[in-house]
Amino acid sequence: MADRETATDPLKHRVYEELLSPSELFEARSRSHKIPVRGQKDFLPSGSEQQTTRLQQSLDEHWTLLTEERVERLGNLVKAVWIPDERLVELQSPAGKFWQTMGFSERGKQYLLPEEALYLMECGNVQVFYRDLPLSIQEGYERFLSRETVTLHQYQVFGHLKRLGYVVNRFDSSSVPSTYERQLNLPASSWDKQRKQLKRKRSGSPVSSDKQNTAPEEKMTTEDQSEELVKTDPRLEEPMQSADASDRTWWMEAGVQPSPAQAPSAAPRWDFSSISFPDLGSRRSGSVSLASPDPSLLPGALEVGGCDLSLWLSRVNVKQEKLSRRDRERQRDRDRYHRDINSDREVRHCRNWAEYLQLLEDRRRRRQKDRPVHLWEQEVTPLTQPGQCTSHRELLDQISIIKSSSWSEGVSSLSSSDQWKISFDIYQPDTVAEFKKSHPGKPYTRMCVCSFDGPVPDLNAMKLLSFQSGDVPVTFAVVDHGDISFYCFKDFKLPTDAY
Amino acid sequence: MTTEAPEKSADEGLSSSGSAGTSGTRFDLERETELRFEVEAGERVQLELLTGLAEVFGSELNRNKKYTFGPGSKIAVFTWQGCSVSLSGKTEVAYISKDTPMLLYLNTHAALEQMRRQAEKDNERGPRVMVVGPTDVGKSTVCRVLLNYAVRLGRRPTLVELDVGQSSVSVPGTMSALCIERPADVEEGFSVQAPLVFHFGSTTPGTNIKLYNKLTSSLAEVFSQRCEVNRKASVGGCIINTCGWVKGSGYQALVHCASAFQVDVVLVLDQERLYNELKRDLPHFVRVVLMPKSGGVVERSKDCRRDTRDEKIREYFYGFRGTSFYPHAFDVRFSEVRIYKIGAPSIPDSCLPLGMSQDDTQLKLVPVSPGRDLTHHVLSVSSVDDDAEVGAEQSRGILESPVCGFVVVTAVDTQAQVMTVLSPAPRPLPRHTLLIMDIRFIDLK
Repeated sequence: MADRETATDPLKHRVYEELLSPSELFEARSRSHKIPVRGQKDFLPSGSEQQTTRLQQSLDEHWTLLTEERVERLGNLVKAVWIPDERLVELQSPAGKFWQTMGFSERGKQYLLPEEALYLMECGNVQVFYRDLPLSIQEGYERFLSRETVTLHQYQVFGHLKRLGYVVNRFDSSSVPSTYERQLNLPASSWDKQRKQLKRKRSGSPVSSDKQNTAPEEKMTTEDQSEELVKTDPRLEEPMQSADASDRTWWMEAGVQPSPAQAPSAAPRWDFSSISFPDLGSRRSGSVSLASPDPSLLPGALEVGGCDLSLWLSRVNVKQEKLSRRDRERQRDRDRYHRDINSDREVRHCRNWAEYLQLLEDRRRRRQKDRPVHLWEQEVTPLTQPGQCTSHRELLDQISIIKSSSWSEGVSSLSSSDQWKISFDIYQPDTVAEFKKSHPGKPYTRMCVCSFDGPVPDLNAMKLLSFQSGDVPVTFAVVDHGDISFYCFKDFKLPTDAY
Repeated sequence: MTTEAPEKSADEGLSSSGSAGTSGTRFDLERETELRFEVEAGERVQLELLTGLAEVFGSELNRNKKYTFGPGSKIAVFTWQGCSVSLSGKTEVAYISKDTPMLLYLNTHAALEQMRRQAEKDNERGPRVMVVGPTDVGKSTVCRVLLNYAVRLGRRPTLVELDVGQSSVSVPGTMSALCIERPADVEEGFSVQAPLVFHFGSTTPGTNIKLYNKLTSSLAEVFSQRCEVNRKASVGGCIINTCGWVKGSGYQALVHCASAFQVDVVLVLDQERLYNELKRDLPHFVRVVLMPKSGGVVERSKDCRRDTRDEKIREYFYGFRGTSFYPHAFDVRFSEVRIYKIGAPSIPDSCLPLGMSQDDTQLKLVPVSPGRDLTHHVLSVSSVDDDAEVGAEQSRGILESPVCGFVVVTAVDTQAQVMTVLSPAPRPLPRHTLLIMDIRFIDLK
């Protein structure tokens, strides 16, 4: 858009070659401002004549658009100077409307970040001078975009979002409350205030200064944490090992010596030939009287005489029990197949319960080999046995091989990578009216810029990014030669059935 | 009622001649005889030892002290040296019998004591005794006598109560272990201080034999741990009282118990078949002993058993003879507690995969949604931690953790989602995992 006043002055036309004549101005004004639309599948060459011409036509359109001279109103152009050492653009004249969402002031001067300056140049709001000469947009691309400031991809995303009306700021990792702060649940205002102070400083470049300033810090914390983990681990294990011992100490009474290991004795522990029980069963045929017991064994040192068992023998209940038919059958079956376990030689060799139970266990194990081998006895067994779970949730839990994990899980133990960085904070267009640079509030999303040529972020990277971002979602802007697509990964829980 | 009914009149006639005035009937007992009496329903009987020495189930009587026995009590006063006692109050029967197996029990005790001495000398564990037999043969009494004799000699035996129907330690439907430190009180029985109690939930092991065996193993494990560190308990050994169910799975449960506790001696009361079977099914180093039952043992009817069960629960809440404790009643919101029943309905074998056996359904915890049918049920308060996650781990934890107390649901309000419970302690409940019993208790009186 040209300025009519300047254009009407014929003298100046000669002085400034760049000033345009009314007809030229009119032409420039009525020119179509639309960016030519690209067909969706033009990237797939089919080799046909028709497509080639169409592609050529589209390319030509782009070229003409790029070569076209921009016509700007001189009074609207804000003058600025490029300071390469600081990689900043300093404004020389009062800023325009864009100042609401872009730029920052420091030491009483107003600055623009390179990507902001470039975007404003493209929009025709700013004219940047370097060594007293105005920079063309092409020079702007060459000088402003670098590894130290923002990359071309990042700028493309920046420009795209800006054109759509979003407010885009460089991401400052120090503005995100740490997990500790989040745990403490500090009110948002307190870290906003903190951010306000930080805002006075210029925020670092999303590429370089992030790496220089925050990355080591991050690393430190993660290292700290992992060290912490290593330190605590043995501590955790120790009580585990001693748990067995300490668990039982509560039984301990003072002056009690621990029981000795059972000494293997050749004979069974008790010699029942010397310890006489008044057993009516075995005395059927043997002696029928009991000797009087040793008074020292009796309470109150009783002295009692012997006892004639014959009387009791006659009284023992030997009558057949009343059994139901089923019981009788069962008993008959058992009697038929069940031999006296003591006629077994191996059993006779056992001297105590421990040995006997060991023998039974061995036999059981031998017998258990009858289970279908292909199902239960190999390395691969079913995840769950029927009848183990009481609820659906429990069952689902048991049969899930990949355990679900949330973004925030185990991040502290991950090492941060340089490849994946959050570049921008994005604020929605409808918040622009009340947007304050000093008080930006919580961003709508955070943007991570990557290219289709690069790898897809892995779980590790995504976890790290979402950890860095805190409670703000991270969107991946994927740049494909100027086309930008946005992706996000959402944390969600698989639906489970509770009862 | 008794096996010796014909002797009764003769004995009574004989002894009533020696009665002393109106204060009571005087009985003079010769050495090694016992006086057996039953208290009539709704009556009380007072017993007093006048001369000599006498004991009731192994606990000695104090001279000139009046002992009161409530309705339905069946008591035997035995004397080794001879004594005279007086009885006042209405007795259903009262007679003196010469025909008592106490001498056999004493001999059994002597043998066990011999084993304890040897254990002490060899630094080994003492005898573990299991008392088995059909119902109504005096198993509990034999246990009490043996424990009393042992503790009177300064031993510290453990009573393991596996009779879920007629527990002498805690309320019915539980399995428990109790360390005996002093002889049983003549009136009240053993003093119940800090027993280890597990929830079983029913009055017969048959309803869930798997759980029964599991809890037996748990008790055995705890007891063994205790023996490992407490020398006295180890030497004292244990006496295990079992159920009167000796057929089929009940018999299997006895064999399981013997191996879980690694018993040394099995006392079989009054059944030769059981004796022979145990001799056959237990390894040779276990001494199986057949003993007669006492002639004084009375068969109890179903009603009588139910009454004793009720009485036992009432005693838990209100104290002995309903006088010493004052339980609390308060509301518990449904949302505060988790109620479980142990044992899920079983799946038919045809629904199971090849080679699977369904052994776990009986040990499964099934959540119970509170409703009107909960009324009057006895609930055990499990001592498992409240914050434990619900899962397989925890369900095992609930099964194997002891009970810290019992409550009875007296009313359920489904509208307000609240139930009223009778509890020995004021609110709140110490833990919030409750296990439901089949047993009901209606708080009358």
